[in-house]
Amino acid sequence: MGAPPLVVAPSEPMAVDPALLRAVPQRLPAVESPAAAMPETPPLVATQPTAPHNPERITAAAKPAPKPAVLLVVVARPLEAPLDVAALKIRLRDTHAIGVFTKLALRNQMDDLLKQFRSHYQGEQKTSVATLRQPYDRLILKVLALVQDGDPSLAHTIAGSREELWNILADPEQFKSII
Amino acid sequence: MIAPARNASRLTLVAMLVAGPVAAAQDAALLKDMTAVIMLLGLPCDQVVSARQQADHSHLAACRNGMRYRVFVNAEGRVVAQRQ
Repeated sequence: MGAPPLVVAPSEPMAVDPALLRAVPQRLPAVESPAAAMPETPPLVATQPTAPHNPERITAAAKPAPKPAVLLVVVARPLEAPLDVAALKIRLRDTHAIGVFTKLALRNQMDDLLKQFRSHYQGEQKTSVATLRQPYDRLILKVLALVQDGDPSLAHTIAGSREELWNILADPEQFKSII
Repeated sequence: MIAPARNASRLTLVAMLVAGPVAAAQDAALLKDMTAVIMLLGLPCDQVVSARQQADHSHLAACRNGMRYRVFVNAEGRVVAQRQ
């Protein structure tokens, strides 16, 4: 690809094509997700570059050329409810996808993992919390493998909450709130 | 006198027909549970083919590969599978 087109600050006020401004709001759906929120940028404006490439004009400009606004196409997503850990626990406890002994064994392993987090936050472990990521991922995979056939909805919820659960466990304040 | 005996035998037959599939389903669920637990504990067992509850509420599970385990919950509330 070639170099991006040069944008030169005009000496006089810009004439913006109204058709462009009218079209933009229709193409941009509302951004609801905070993750997708972006700082405000000026709308995309059309510039008419001068015919010759004149370096003197560029260097003489007092202000730097305005950055071309980036038109983001954001896909609107419904607001996601915050993860309800207690509700997830209840669903896992009540699921028919796994038997009683399996639930007990899973609970034992979850308690073991939580114990490791607790000892980390109490300063008993010298390593960072990132070292617990692997055992966490392994446990999540075990749970998913066990429930995915019998309870696909629960498996989908757990898979989708994987990162959020890790963020809760990895944050000392949030970890205290769930224990 | 013969009629009540016949009725009783018919009732027994019907009960067996109904209870049979239900018991089989429970057995299948138990076998699946035992298989999952043993594998979750990292022990070799491809599939539990039979499981019998013992007097002490533990389960004796026999795997297809010949391994046998006693599965129970210990005093600390942990599920344990001991190789037999």
